[in-house]
Amino acid sequence: MFNDVEMMVFMEELEEKIQSINDNVLLLEKDGGSPEVIQEIFRAAHTIKGSSAVMGFEKMAGLTHEIENLFDRLRQGTMEVNTHLVDVLFEALDNLKMLKDEITGNARDVQVEDVLHKLRAILKTGDGEESAGNGHGAGSGSSPQAGGPDRLDEVIGDMIREAEVRGFQAYWINVDIDSGCQMKNVRAFLVFETLQQIGEIIKSDPPAEDIQEGRYDRGFSLVLITKEDAGQVKNLLMSIAEVNSVDIVQLESGETDGYPGAASEGGRQEEDVGDIGRRAAAAGPEKNAIKTVRVDVQKLDNLMNLVSELVIDRTRLDRFVDIFENKYGSEELVENIVEISNHLGQITTDLQDEIMKARMLPVATVFNRLPRMVRDIAQKLGKEIDFIVEGKETELDRNVIEIIGDPLIHLIRNAIDHGIESPEERLRLGKPRKGRVVLKASYVESHIVITITDDGRGMDVEKIKKKALEKGLVKSDALARMSTREALDLIFMPGFSTAEEVSDVSGRGVGMDIVRNQIEQINGAVEYSSEVGRGTIFQIKLPLTLVIIRALMVGMGDQVYAFPLSNVMETLAIKESDIKFIRHSEVIVVRGSVLPLVRLAGLFQIESRTEDGRLYVVVLGSGNRRVGVVVDKLIGEQEIVIKSLGSYLGQMTGLSGATILGDGRVALIIDAKGIVKDTGKEELAYAN
Amino acid sequence: MAVSGQSRIEEQVVVFTLRDQVYGMDIGSVLEIIRMESVTRVPGTPDFIEGIINLRGKVIPVMDLCRRFNMPPSKISDSTRVIIAEAGGVTVGMIVDSVSEVLRIPASSIEPPPAIIAGSSIEALRGIALVDEKMIILLDLGKVLYEEEKRQLEGFGK
Repeated sequence: MFNDVEMMVFMEELEEKIQSINDNVLLLEKDGGSPEVIQEIFRAAHTIKGSSAVMGFEKMAGLTHEIENLFDRLRQGTMEVNTHLVDVLFEALDNLKMLKDEITGNARDVQVEDVLHKLRAILKTGDGEESAGNGHGAGSGSSPQAGGPDRLDEVIGDMIREAEVRGFQAYWINVDIDSGCQMKNVRAFLVFETLQQIGEIIKSDPPAEDIQEGRYDRGFSLVLITKEDAGQVKNLLMSIAEVNSVDIVQLESGETDGYPGAASEGGRQEEDVGDIGRRAAAAGPEKNAIKTVRVDVQKLDNLMNLVSELVIDRTRLDRFVDIFENKYGSEELVENIVEISNHLGQITTDLQDEIMKARMLPVATVFNRLPRMVRDIAQKLGKEIDFIVEGKETELDRNVIEIIGDPLIHLIRNAIDHGIESPEERLRLGKPRKGRVVLKASYVESHIVITITDDGRGMDVEKIKKKALEKGLVKSDALARMSTREALDLIFMPGFSTAEEVSDVSGRGVGMDIVRNQIEQINGAVEYSSEVGRGTIFQIKLPLTLVIIRALMVGMGDQVYAFPLSNVMETLAIKESDIKFIRHSEVIVVRGSVLPLVRLAGLFQIESRTEDGRLYVVVLGSGNRRVGVVVDKLIGEQEIVIKSLGSYLGQMTGLSGATILGDGRVALIIDAKGIVKDTGKEELAYAN
Repeated sequence: MAVSGQSRIEEQVVVFTLRDQVYGMDIGSVLEIIRMESVTRVPGTPDFIEGIINLRGKVIPVMDLCRRFNMPPSKISDSTRVIIAEAGGVTVGMIVDSVSEVLRIPASSIEPPPAIIAGSSIEALRGIALVDEKMIILLDLGKVLYEEEKRQLEGFGK
């Protein structure tokens, strides 16, 4: 059997390729499929076929083989894309995913016969169409021994033109194999292998599969795109045993007959631009190959720790620099140390930034899964959706990426299910038939903001109120006093769901409260705005990373505590006399509303050391609730690296971790959400 | 540490003192010994947890072994050391009054703890060794870390 590492590589590749097919089939459905898209799917299917066959997963190899065949036909232009084809492709894709689950043990006895039949049936009808007369050239019947290049069809023409734009050459190559050759398939394989190392084979005659299985007469011809010159290609091929002769002709896109844009130079330019655009749309990892190495996150964490140590040592060095300066004045040696210290500081900062970046992944890893989901939901609900994704390349910490998936899926489902109206209703309202859902990620200051915008019916306050009442989430008198905003906020109540009937799309009542919890877990926040009849916007604000946060540092006794800035609403300076009592609980009145107070000294049983009777209050917010925490003094804002307290101490009430200060001391990080949750309930209930 | 004395001919033990008593800990579980440094107190932890320290970028809990064994707290002096040790996958620091030496103790001179002594700290003992007229109390680190907590948790149940 194969070892774990090989298996892992295979699974990762499989995942990547399935995603690539998925993305490109969506593109195919959208605009009928550019040659690049078709090529990309073909290649992905081909890769899976190869590796799964090697690994011994025959069902998978068989399925991808059929997909590959189909796309080979599409590629050659002997078949057209239609809705039925796309549907079957999606079905095949689902089967492929199930087969993948079967390998990981998450599924059993996956049957693929059904979809195989469908795929073959499509291939057959394709044959029929072809015999009925297909305009494009390069029929498989033409002689491979022709003295020059065949008339190239449009798809190939496009690819050659595109290659030229990128600075590649296209060659038509005729390889003549010795007639007495015993291992035609092996020779052919070597030829392909050799050529694929220096370029890309975009066409072969007879088809690649036949050639590689040795089904050719005395030779075969290929179209190769490469950066090498013709002589070099010839030399390489001639070095293969039993290759008798090699003819190479350089192709220029202008030569291709029937190519529409070739007539005028201007037209050609335009086409080129269009092609590049389409190419960019084709999501294939192979084409824009990024040089990458897979690294265990643990290693990055260790690196980060080492950098933190460096930062601490640098701070210590700074202190010595000060001492030297005081002692020896501005001597040259002292100046040197100052310089070294400054440079070290700069480098450590850069190093820290780079390691942070290494932990980041583009949101594309999550976003790429969504278009397919949108398509399925829309189809199920009979809605038409134009799903637009922007800012895929925005990068987020990998931990954030892992968590953000579920909330996004939920919000998008809601947008489609509750937001977007049916096509008929939309037409009646004078809106475009297709609903628009835009998912967008962008950087805003030191945050990432993901917005989900729909142009649907917006949130209906009355409906929400009615639902909340029915579910017994609020009392009617409380409801009557609520502002519109407060009523809308009811959607975040646990157990709230406005779906008229429970569908399997949304509305299982595990809705927005879970979404909000998940987002807050990663120090994010959910905002929204909605306009009846115009649509709804949900905005998720996320920190760039979970490891480093901005914090408000406060002093208590002789210790320093850190409050995550994402939960700090404001800070207030008060006097003891400002504090009022509601029963036994301390509160203050801020701008007319009651703010429950917690004394950090009381909460943590620590000494408080205030000067001149002034107190400082850090107002914490989580969700709609506000709690004031009384501290001795405010120190200032700072970026801190979050460290766990470790399993020995475990989860401590009121604390979410620790961080190391510049002077090497450890400061505790306050669990703001926990404190807000645990305090003030009683007081507020009484006050209201 | 987990291997009993019988299977080995001799053991290497880090010898330290707590309030004039001599203790020993298997050298295999000791990572390093550092000087006392500033400790950040953590609210809500048991008394014997002194707080947390920064050990080259890692946050490590530190316990006061004197308190752990229900003795008055350690007096911090120049000889005070923190033994950083690992047991059961956690790294902790233990404040001791001084660290004197590393000794090789023949397994034959290790006796099981006397059954007659009972009390909260006794279960953390692995045995008693007599070396050159000195009595060294050998600790079972795993139990030092967890027995007390277990006892406290059981206490909550009642």
